[in-house]
Amino acid sequence: MINLNVNQKTYQIDADLNMPLLWAIRDIIGLTGTKYGCGVAQCGACVVHLNGEAVRSCVTKLSRAAGQKIVTIEGLSENNNHPAQLAWNEENVPQCGYCHSGQIMSAAVLLRENPNPSDADIDSAMAGNICRCGTYLRIRKAIHLAAELQRKEAAGK
Amino acid sequence: MSTSNISRRHFLRAAGLTGTALFVGLYFPSNGEEAKLATASAAETSDIELNAWVHIDTNGKVTIFSHRAEMGQGAFQSVPQIVAEELEVNLKDITIRFAQGDREKYGNQVTGGSSTIRGSYKNLLKLGASAREMLIMAAATKWQVSVADCYAESGHVIHRPSGKKFHYGELVEAASKLEAPKDIVLKKRSDYKLIGKPLSRQDSPLKTNGTAVFGLDKKLPGMLYAVVERNPRLRGKLVSFDASAALKVAGVKKVFKVQTGVFQTFRDGVAVVADSTWAAIQGRKALKIEWDDSGFEHMSTAEIYRRQNDLLKNQEGLSAKKQGDPDEILALAAQKLDVVYETPYQSHSAMEPLNCVAHYQEDKIEIWGPIQAPEWVQDYICGQFKLPKEKVVVNMTFLGGGFGRKAFMDYPHEACLISKEINAPVQVVWTREDDMTQGPYRAGISYRCQGALTNGQLSALKFKMAGQNIGHWMGAPKDQPNRSTTEGFLAPYYESIKNVSFSDIPFEIPIPNVWWRSVYASTNGFAYESLINEMAHLAKKDPLEFRRDYLKDERSRKLIDKMEELSGWKEKKNGEGFGLAITECFATTVGQVVKVSRKADGKIKIDKVWAVVDCGWYVNPDIIHAQVEGSVLMAYAAATIHQITFKDGLVEQKNFYNYLMPRISDMPKVEVHVMENDENAGGVGEPGLPPFTPALTEAIFDLTGKRIRKLPFDMDNV
Amino acid sequence: MTRQTKSKRYLHSVKAFAVIGVLLSVIGVMAFALDNGKEKTVESESSLPAFKKDSITSVKAFKQVYTVLISPRCMNCHPSGNIPLQGDDSHLHEMSPQRGTDGKGVYAMKCSNCHQPTNTPGLHTPPGNPNWHLPPADMKMVFQGRTPSQLAKQLIDPKQNGHKDMKKLIEHADDGLVLAGWNPGEGRTLPPMSHAEFKKAWITWLTTGAYAPKGK
Repeated sequence: MINLNVNQKTYQIDADLNMPLLWAIRDIIGLTGTKYGCGVAQCGACVVHLNGEAVRSCVTKLSRAAGQKIVTIEGLSENNNHPAQLAWNEENVPQCGYCHSGQIMSAAVLLRENPNPSDADIDSAMAGNICRCGTYLRIRKAIHLAAELQRKEAAGK
Repeated sequence: MSTSNISRRHFLRAAGLTGTALFVGLYFPSNGEEAKLATASAAETSDIELNAWVHIDTNGKVTIFSHRAEMGQGAFQSVPQIVAEELEVNLKDITIRFAQGDREKYGNQVTGGSSTIRGSYKNLLKLGASAREMLIMAAATKWQVSVADCYAESGHVIHRPSGKKFHYGELVEAASKLEAPKDIVLKKRSDYKLIGKPLSRQDSPLKTNGTAVFGLDKKLPGMLYAVVERNPRLRGKLVSFDASAALKVAGVKKVFKVQTGVFQTFRDGVAVVADSTWAAIQGRKALKIEWDDSGFEHMSTAEIYRRQNDLLKNQEGLSAKKQGDPDEILALAAQKLDVVYETPYQSHSAMEPLNCVAHYQEDKIEIWGPIQAPEWVQDYICGQFKLPKEKVVVNMTFLGGGFGRKAFMDYPHEACLISKEINAPVQVVWTREDDMTQGPYRAGISYRCQGALTNGQLSALKFKMAGQNIGHWMGAPKDQPNRSTTEGFLAPYYESIKNVSFSDIPFEIPIPNVWWRSVYASTNGFAYESLINEMAHLAKKDPLEFRRDYLKDERSRKLIDKMEELSGWKEKKNGEGFGLAITECFATTVGQVVKVSRKADGKIKIDKVWAVVDCGWYVNPDIIHAQVEGSVLMAYAAATIHQITFKDGLVEQKNFYNYLMPRISDMPKVEVHVMENDENAGGVGEPGLPPFTPALTEAIFDLTGKRIRKLPFDMDNV
Repeated sequence: MTRQTKSKRYLHSVKAFAVIGVLLSVIGVMAFALDNGKEKTVESESSLPAFKKDSITSVKAFKQVYTVLISPRCMNCHPSGNIPLQGDDSHLHEMSPQRGTDGKGVYAMKCSNCHQPTNTPGLHTPPGNPNWHLPPADMKMVFQGRTPSQLAKQLIDPKQNGHKDMKKLIEHADDGLVLAGWNPGEGRTLPPMSHAEFKKAWITWLTTGAYAPKGK
């Protein structure tokens, strides 16, 4: 038995410690927003936050995740209102939508660490997330917008 | 449940809806006649089952059943955007549900050929307008006023002289008792409030917070997970397997042989069923399997192209289309070209790997999955399991990309077989490696293209294709040419070029193939438009002006003008390469201009892509822009990095580490322009793809003088 | 789009340099004040192996050290640019992760987001180590493209090696990430000699004077 803390909730899980976090989140806990895309840390569809970092859950074993603070796309915001989520919707970024949980989780780390990212910063941060539909132009636009929303929000506080 | 005799009450229950409501739907006679409009009461009295509909309840809540798959191309948005326009409701007030698969209820549901809008928009407009008129009639009757004095707006009927209003919910009971109006006057395009506007997609919020349910996200109580080890040579047979180690893996429940239908053959595999996807994957790793790979040829990529190119040299093939006598003109012409273009095999590689949930229970099967062709799946499963249609229910989820691969029946079939064997609901998951190594693929086709100039004028074109024909896998006669040989080629050329022929040389190998985004236009377009560009240079003409000489119809003329204007074609500077191409498929013509230059290190980069789309009547320009942006990137990858290769019958690419995907920094700037006209609607999801590659290779030729005729090519080493 | 062949060509040129470097490795000028004996404490001296300058032995040992350092297992994380290399052909790392100030990546692309504390099973999966990183931005310690002479000088230059003295340099042979080179995960070739042999050559090179092979 291990404890997994996902989206501020603790789950007691009886699973092999070698099981990747991805499958525990999806198949055992039942949160399906985190996606399987490649299984080898190539595509970024499975990105979750582990202690705030954008880890690839498909290669992160339960042994590493146990007892740590994990946030999935379902827990990123209260009401689909993280600046990245708001911007993604404003710019109509998703097509098929499958990769965007991971894209948004990656963008959220960028926005936290760099409130005013340049195009080059966006390229550096988002290079690990593949989108087969080709929404990259809109991802870039949405991250710039999200940064703006975030700055406004910070100024308002 | 038979197709007749469905009561309205029964339907309400079946659809999970309650209360008094207004239903308006379409009825697709099985004899192939045009769809007819009907209301629930009409359906009741005339014994038709009514399913594709608008439903309005007494609170005024509107539900629309979408009959087509949503795989990124925007059906989930554009179908309701059409209905809501004529129904006069706000999009935010609409609930959208996926319809189940059934040809007799919904007509053609296969989400392919960019057909969702062009195939159904006229019916959808009528559907919305009929419901609106019935609501207006109901209000006029209640108020005892003339229908002409009433109008509908934002989910209300308003009496113009008095300003009285009812919301739709207050009218549905009365409206549901009315007959559908016979003559419906549709709105003028200039009066549209929703259609033609770049409205936000209704599925976006679901896709930014993890709530959209894709196939892989479907869960059922008691559901188990399965992966299947399939013969890596696609056609081999299972001799034996040893499951003892696999069964020792914690969570693994059962291991057994499974034979899945692939076209008209069967693919052998060993299924491992477990209580989690990961346990099933671990179990599969522990399998020991002996395959029999005899009895079919083990292909290599080099061999495929050697044979195809030999055929192009030595055979004329089956004539697909011919006007005039290109051979005679070519024989006489002083200026001519005779060149071969080669295109590679491609994997679809949707981000969501193949998967399917099935629950087999005694005499019925229910399926949930990322399915592009629900009624094909229904037909196939009915045939395989000898079940009547009402016992096979096919539910579409959101699709994490499809690109043609998910318009196929093998993965649902496999899930049904496994569910039957274990007597429980199961989700079969294809790993990325399964998805990439098992095909079917887009065939890599070789083309021999010849062109002649007579007195400087393009006088003959002769195109021969050698490559696998998808139709052959589905039983199409092999003495008939591939009907798609001309796909992508612009019809106006037939007016101005008197001698044109297309032929197809049949070619068969044991590597299954299937349609891939824009299908034959994706390869034809490269060959045919590259030849046009090459002929322009032979004629010492600017390739854009050259097209003006041969594409003289109004739509082509306007498209070319717009391409020239947007791209600054005439303002080309030193060190810039410009290229263009124009193709047509699925009733939409797209012209693209690509501009390239050299980076500081001398390598070539794309500066910008301009795409001009003539798709006639359209719904949502923002979705068109998105589809073209995505098509450009998919074409770019297919032209420069992607090729599925075979060695001794095995696919060499396994995952994204050796079938590299373009990443954010690879995305070129794309500017899309949509032409305005009153022509019939064309497709949008695919036609943006074919012109990109010939435009890119022409731009590179313009910059470097090097002609690229074989794909993929390396941008860094042109 | 690029297929990253550049780094592969680079590797070949490095090998060519290595050969030339060895041919020219007659006794070079020893200009490195490594021992700096005056500052040493008794304690640290006692932990150091015997120190005896011998340029021939030293250069010979470095020749061995060099083959390890420019093998993919070591060089891939000591790139000339800010993107690590990958694979036995030392191509630029797919998805272009950036070094970052601390050598641990940037934003959503930090090394440990994919590289786990241990190797991930399977082919083409991320190799692991609890401390996976590149040299930091202010001490890049580039191996890629360095000649034997350049690399030898660089390794013992306190300004370029993170102010490592003899003791620290010797200890570095047993650093966790150095050792990870000999546990590279499935499908990756090992450095050209065992870790024990490497360590012996490393210590020999350092303790015989840390001479640099002659040449550029």
